[in-house]
Amino acid sequence: MKYIIVIGCGRTGKTLATQLSVSENVVAIDKDLAAIEDLGDHFNGKKVCADALDITVLEQAGIKKADTLFLLTGNDNLNLVIGKVVKRLYNVGNVVLQVHDPDKKKTFQKEGLTIVSRNYLIAEVLKKCIS
Amino acid sequence: MYIVIAGAGRLGVMLAKRLKQDDHQVCLIEKREDICRILARETNDYLIIHGDATYMHILEDAKIDRAQVCVSATSSDEDNIIICNIAKEMFGVKRTVARVNDPKHIDFYKYMDVDNPVDSTAIIAQVVEEEASFNDVMSLLSMKKGRLSVVRVDIPQDSPVVDKRVGQIQLPSNCVLISIIRGPEIIIPSGMTEIKSGDEVIAAALIDQEKDLVRALIGKL
Repeated sequence: MKYIIVIGCGRTGKTLATQLSVSENVVAIDKDLAAIEDLGDHFNGKKVCADALDITVLEQAGIKKADTLFLLTGNDNLNLVIGKVVKRLYNVGNVVLQVHDPDKKKTFQKEGLTIVSRNYLIAEVLKKCIS
Repeated sequence: MYIVIAGAGRLGVMLAKRLKQDDHQVCLIEKREDICRILARETNDYLIIHGDATYMHILEDAKIDRAQVCVSATSSDEDNIIICNIAKEMFGVKRTVARVNDPKHIDFYKYMDVDNPVDSTAIIAQVVEEEASFNDVMSLLSMKKGRLSVVRVDIPQDSPVVDKRVGQIQLPSNCVLISIIRGPEIIIPSGMTEIKSGDEVIAAALIDQEKDLVRALIGKL
């Protein structure tokens, strides 16, 4: 079983965390209590309501033993700051983050972070539709 | 000097005014359009750019590559960190200074190499503590990432240095007495100056010697 931390439980985070929690060990973090509660009974993992821009919160969530960290807060800058620092401090195999701004995606991709952009992905899928 | 400030809140605006008074060139970046309009109407002293400073093209508009210093004073810690990070890594700005809004976030400022994260909460707490407490020893200032420290020591009656001349006191190495405050009087001490009970002594020490310095001045810790 992989140890996975998901930060940001909006629509994307919720869907991902819930699906992964079927087979993996998942910790979901959000600072909004409503978002945490909204994960519901289908989510089979640990729920943490806290501000993730805090080393203690990350360590209590088990960042040291995490295989993958997903950063899906909807705030590009927050995702980037946490992602960069985690990559630097801890031995997390995959650090995957969502970034909307294409410029930032290009810039920060060089640093070993896996950056996913929703618009880019959708555009790629749509391009496939014409062939 | 050319200085770019991100965030035109109370701090950003006051800083821009002060730097302008010291004849620096200032550019202020603010993402709220209404604030930009008001500022632009009020002043011609500095350049105002409307935009989100976490975007590279906005920093380019501000000519950040020519700035010696980038100050990030927005109310969002993640934005401040990213702005300083981009200024330094992409545009080669030598010195980055940022306002820390929530002290819990300060580790992230450090790990992201912000040169000077200014934690206003901690600074105010210290000033309030200084005003409220009756401690014999108070750390006034710490510089060079905490390696140099300036302390205030109240000399008690039973201190071993009472009625001694500064020249007679055995101070640890790497320490110096800066001034002696006696009632309304501020004395810059020489070797002949005598220390009296009730004096406030301001001294500078390297952090490793701070405890020894305090021990030498009040006899205990």
